[in-house]
Amino acid sequence: MIYIIDHKDSFTHNVVHQFENFDDVMCDNHNEINEEKLKKSKVIVFSPGPGAPKDYPRSSNIYKRFKGKKKMIGICLGFQQILHCEKGEIIQQKKIYHGYQSKIKVTSENSLFTKNRKFKVGRYHSLKLKEPFARKNFEITMRCDISNVAMAIENNKEKIYGFQFHPESFLTENGNLLIKKILSA
Amino acid sequence: MIKKNYLENLNNLKKPFIIYRSNKGFDLYTDFSKKIILTKNNIKRFIKESTKIKSKKKETDLYIGFFGYEILNNLIGVKVKKQKGLKFPKGIFYKPETKLKLPNKLNYRNLKTIKSNRLFKVNINRASYKIIFDKFKKKIKFGETYQIKICTKYSNKTQIDALDFFCRLVESNMAPEAFMIKDKDYSIISCSPENLINKKNDIITTKPIAGTLKKTKKLNKKKALSFFKKNIKESKEHNMIVDMERSDLSRICKAGSVKILKKKIVEEYKDLYHYVSLIGGRLKNNISSLEIIKAMMPGGSVIGCPKISTLNLLNIQEKESRNIYTGSFGYIKFNGDMRFNIIIRSILNYKNNSEISVASGVVIDSNAKHEFNENYIKAKALMDLYK
Repeated sequence: MIYIIDHKDSFTHNVVHQFENFDDVMCDNHNEINEEKLKKSKVIVFSPGPGAPKDYPRSSNIYKRFKGKKKMIGICLGFQQILHCEKGEIIQQKKIYHGYQSKIKVTSENSLFTKNRKFKVGRYHSLKLKEPFARKNFEITMRCDISNVAMAIENNKEKIYGFQFHPESFLTENGNLLIKKILSA
Repeated sequence: MIKKNYLENLNNLKKPFIIYRSNKGFDLYTDFSKKIILTKNNIKRFIKESTKIKSKKKETDLYIGFFGYEILNNLIGVKVKKQKGLKFPKGIFYKPETKLKLPNKLNYRNLKTIKSNRLFKVNINRASYKIIFDKFKKKIKFGETYQIKICTKYSNKTQIDALDFFCRLVESNMAPEAFMIKDKDYSIISCSPENLINKKNDIITTKPIAGTLKKTKKLNKKKALSFFKKNIKESKEHNMIVDMERSDLSRICKAGSVKILKKKIVEEYKDLYHYVSLIGGRLKNNISSLEIIKAMMPGGSVIGCPKISTLNLLNIQEKESRNIYTGSFGYIKFNGDMRFNIIIRSILNYKNNSEISVASGVVIDSNAKHEFNENYIKAKALMDLYK
């Protein structure tokens, strides 16, 4: 079972719908987390949402408790949530991407995805990861083709994955494939 | 078809009635046997029980009416603090005993219509609009909202003949979700173009509009489409709404069934072009009417995104009640089928006070002056009816 933690976003149920293609999915608000479901789940997903990671201490707590024990995936705010817990700094960016489609590129050999592949994705973020960012087992594996902003992180050892863009958006090409690959990793 | 002068007679009788746009013309609902005034305490019961009644299938086996903005907030657990306003009911539904078809052209004119020389007052002037606008822009930079719609309200004190207003309005601005309600102490007139819920059996669709372009002689449908496609701001606003509506539908639909049926097309109306999408899905088994309404309302395209945090920002900001504005009008049939619109481009006249509310969106690259004027243009089409 996949447990999705909702940060009261208007895109969360697209995420639910997408993951339902592959497994049973449960979804609760970040302030109404059910301990049983949390323990039973094989995968924990941190949803997109408004605001910044520091606004969601409960989600940070869950991440820290289950790091290395369960597969964890973060999307948009969820991606930033993971980085925030890994001592990454989340800052405002000059250009704001809400409802934007842009091209991104796989930049790492160690990615589950083929290096140098480019594809279009949907973006909804005003904040980004401050770089340089370095953390044991984590690697930035995708970047915006134009601005070079970090678009994905992978930690294949502890099975932690995050996307700054929205794989569930209709603006993203092959979003389902992306999730399928992460889930079977 | 009905007799000549039927509308005139009905109007003269001072009997409450409702007119709602249908495929070919209009439907008229009257002879109301029940009128339910909604409150925080009875709304859930009303929705649950409205589809519970078993009876023979009649055209009038339905409740028709509206949900105001505030009660829809309450329904999804969003608080609205005490606001100033007309103290107008939060929602009203009627059980009609008569339904009649009306033709496309409504023949009714009140030549004695009272001309109003009084000016409309606007509740937020240009300067305060700019202050609110800049505040919300900051919220966008912090990621608290991605798009938010500032509402301004124009008001006036006049007695109106609602039927006359409605007939003139649909003649100049025919819209697929146009409706009017006339009751003893209030009337609502709207040329809403936007359908929020269309549910038949287990199929549900929603048709958000994001992007409007005024017609000019140089434009045609094709050129309008290329305008919208090239305009990054319009495209982004539209994309956001499409993803949000997909998500709202996914809450209540079977996995994998939510599809964009028409993606970013242009629809042509008498005076303008709209940029619209049609999104649909197949409802999960045993989804209740209440769950459908809670998932879809208030309609996202007129609020902003993400819905909950944007509603909270709006409700802290707005000092006056939105009343019907951005609520929903429509019907629930006894068998659970329903059709609801989003109440925009509307006039509420309550105890001879008229209000016209309008809103336009703030995204990161909008401009305060442009949006304020946009609001005025939207209101003007309705204010012109008073001349």
